[in-house]
Amino acid sequence: MDFSLNEDQELFRKFVRKYLNDQEQTKVARDYIAGNVEAVKQAITGVNELGCMMVNIPDDYDGMGLGKLDLVPIMEEFGRTLMPGVFLETSAFAVPIINQFATTEQKQQYLSEVASGEKAFTIAWLEPSRSYTEKGIQLEAILEQEQFTLNGMKTQVADVAFAQYLIVPVRVNGEVSIIVVDKETPGLTITAQKGFDETRQLSSIYFDNVTVPISALIGPLGDGWGILQEGLLSYNAAVSSVCVGAMEKIIEVASEYACIREQFGQAIGRYQAIKHRLADMKLSLETARSLSYYANWALETTSEDRVEAICSARIFATQAFVEIAAHNIQIHGGIGFTEEIDCHLFVKRSRFYENYLGTQAQYYDQAISALGWDAATKAKEHENLLIS
Amino acid sequence: MDFSYTAQEEQFRQELRTWLEENLPEGWLASQQLPSEEAELGQFLRKWQKTLADSRWAAIAWPEKHGGRNATLMEEIIYHQEMVRVKAPPLVNYVGLHMVGPTLMQIGTPEQQEKYIPKILTGEEVWCQGYSEPNAGSDLAAVQTTAVKKGDKWVINGQKIWTSFAHFADRCFLVARTSKGEKKHHGITCFLLDMNQPGVEVRPIIQMNGEHDFNEVYLTDAVAYDSEIIGQVDDGWRVTIALLMHERTGIGAQVFSLEQQFAELVNVAQTVTEDDQPLIAKPEVRKRLLDLYMNQRGSLLNYYRNLTKQLKVGHPGVEGSMDKLFVSEMTKKLFSEAISIQGHAGMLWEEDAVQDQGYWQKNYLYSFGQTIGGGTSEIQKNTIAERILGLPKDVGR
Repeated sequence: MDFSLNEDQELFRKFVRKYLNDQEQTKVARDYIAGNVEAVKQAITGVNELGCMMVNIPDDYDGMGLGKLDLVPIMEEFGRTLMPGVFLETSAFAVPIINQFATTEQKQQYLSEVASGEKAFTIAWLEPSRSYTEKGIQLEAILEQEQFTLNGMKTQVADVAFAQYLIVPVRVNGEVSIIVVDKETPGLTITAQKGFDETRQLSSIYFDNVTVPISALIGPLGDGWGILQEGLLSYNAAVSSVCVGAMEKIIEVASEYACIREQFGQAIGRYQAIKHRLADMKLSLETARSLSYYANWALETTSEDRVEAICSARIFATQAFVEIAAHNIQIHGGIGFTEEIDCHLFVKRSRFYENYLGTQAQYYDQAISALGWDAATKAKEHENLLIS
Repeated sequence: MDFSYTAQEEQFRQELRTWLEENLPEGWLASQQLPSEEAELGQFLRKWQKTLADSRWAAIAWPEKHGGRNATLMEEIIYHQEMVRVKAPPLVNYVGLHMVGPTLMQIGTPEQQEKYIPKILTGEEVWCQGYSEPNAGSDLAAVQTTAVKKGDKWVINGQKIWTSFAHFADRCFLVARTSKGEKKHHGITCFLLDMNQPGVEVRPIIQMNGEHDFNEVYLTDAVAYDSEIIGQVDDGWRVTIALLMHERTGIGAQVFSLEQQFAELVNVAQTVTEDDQPLIAKPEVRKRLLDLYMNQRGSLLNYYRNLTKQLKVGHPGVEGSMDKLFVSEMTKKLFSEAISIQGHAGMLWEEDAVQDQGYWQKNYLYSFGQTIGGGTSEIQKNTIAERILGLPKDVGR
């Protein structure tokens, strides 16, 4: 029995933390809000130099050849500082699906480019129907003479500024397929959207006769939905770790503040109203951490319960993050309500993850289905169908 | 990360499993029916403990020379898992086996060890724990029961409350005040009190579920001798705490029980029908179950994480307060949800239509005690805030 990260993983965490502390933690996120994209790109270059993007890329493609669990401490550290960028989209979505479904040539190109820190991915999935269901994917790609022609629109695409490639789910002959599109392809227009969380920049992307060679297709034609589901499992396990990191930082800051802020002649942390709220926050954090460790372990070992484990971690961690970020403002009182300190940044980021790449409701349904709890209902519905 | 058990651990599990199949009380696996009459129950439980002790399964963590197996922490975990799996009858001498015995081995004199330990193991002498008083609950150091030396005797007066198993007990690990110290935890002494004497009166407290676990214990000129003092006179606070620290795996049993109770609740939701539909067909029920599932998994995984740490550093950490808080609150939540989910059937108590002979209703009522006994949830939260998060101590402490 050993339910903990190993020494190497904890050591890597230290390097990442040291680097992000040197960047003055949330200063990078604040630079991004102020529109200083170059400063953020510089900070990201530093992260790449540490090797963060190489971790889960196989040796053959210039990576470290490590697993899902090795991403956990890195994601937690990114969460602590609300680091802007497309690490999740790249390392926890694009890399795993390319690794699992792409051809050797595609891997050689994309994975090597990611490993070197040269290029990154973001995900252009959502469409105006605003649904992360299979039906919601309507952007049409016509396949003729070894190339796809794309027409349609994607929306709420995160941080295109830091990505070269877009993972684009499209419909080819009525079926979902996955295509990688370079954002600089002619016919593609990117329009910024004003988002709730200013540390993540959202965009709408218009495809007007955008042509892409057939070599950009990931996996077999028409297998796109299954590929996306695999990508989501990786992404959700990783996003739960990001939330854990963010919550850990919030609780450190809130506890520290409760020790120094005095009212009625004593630290507010002496009052049980504050103490018990913080204890509840700590318990939620540690529970989210346990669920996220397990989710990543289940993913890595393709354990039988991986779908329910990952959905649970995702639902619990994102929900706890929303709640803990809110408690943090209450503990800080008036100052917590200002732009001056970081409290609001965490609140806004928590609402970003809550419904990004799938809604809470969707993950409840997915977990319920994985646990087999809807089987009884389905049998009943089937029976009713037969009767009518 | 590695959730597997070693071959040796699996062998240990198999040995225990086989033994349980052969030695559980007759018909136990089918119905788990305890005798309802109190004297008969006492006999039944003592017999069960004797059976365990005879095969060295009563106190596996004890050294072999005292009848244990010198079990590792992982073996203790497996022991709890297996006992929960068969819903084994409770250990009537839980206090003796898990608290008094190890404390005697640590602090007791050779004479005390020789006199008490063998009878603790077999259940020949059942022990209770005389800690809480009407005015000393969470604030244990405020005990008011007094012990005054008169000749060669200590004369003890006062009242204890919430004393589990006192109605079966032969001896009591009693905390009493022997002098007024500078601080309130000074001047305390621990006694190994004989319960079978005229000065000790046990009155039952009936819980809200109709069962009887607790008692009030009235001490009126009860007598103890120097040989029945454990540790030094007036230096008993140390002993008091030492006893509490021996409870090293009790939370595990609760965590594994919660896991099993959750599986049973899902089974209820899948098999009980309303309007010819299983309860689980309702989206509302499924959502409630998933919330419970996440929390139940969380409590189990938190426990495994803390266990990992304990295996590495060699002693339990303050994180135990998080496990205690979470598993007790979740147990309360689970039974509460179980009543809700059953709809109209949740209102029933003892009658034919009630689900599982009223198991859910009875345990729902019983679960209120879990967030109070063994340190209330509020005390756990203070501990988490002060000892883990580093907040200042409460006003008044």
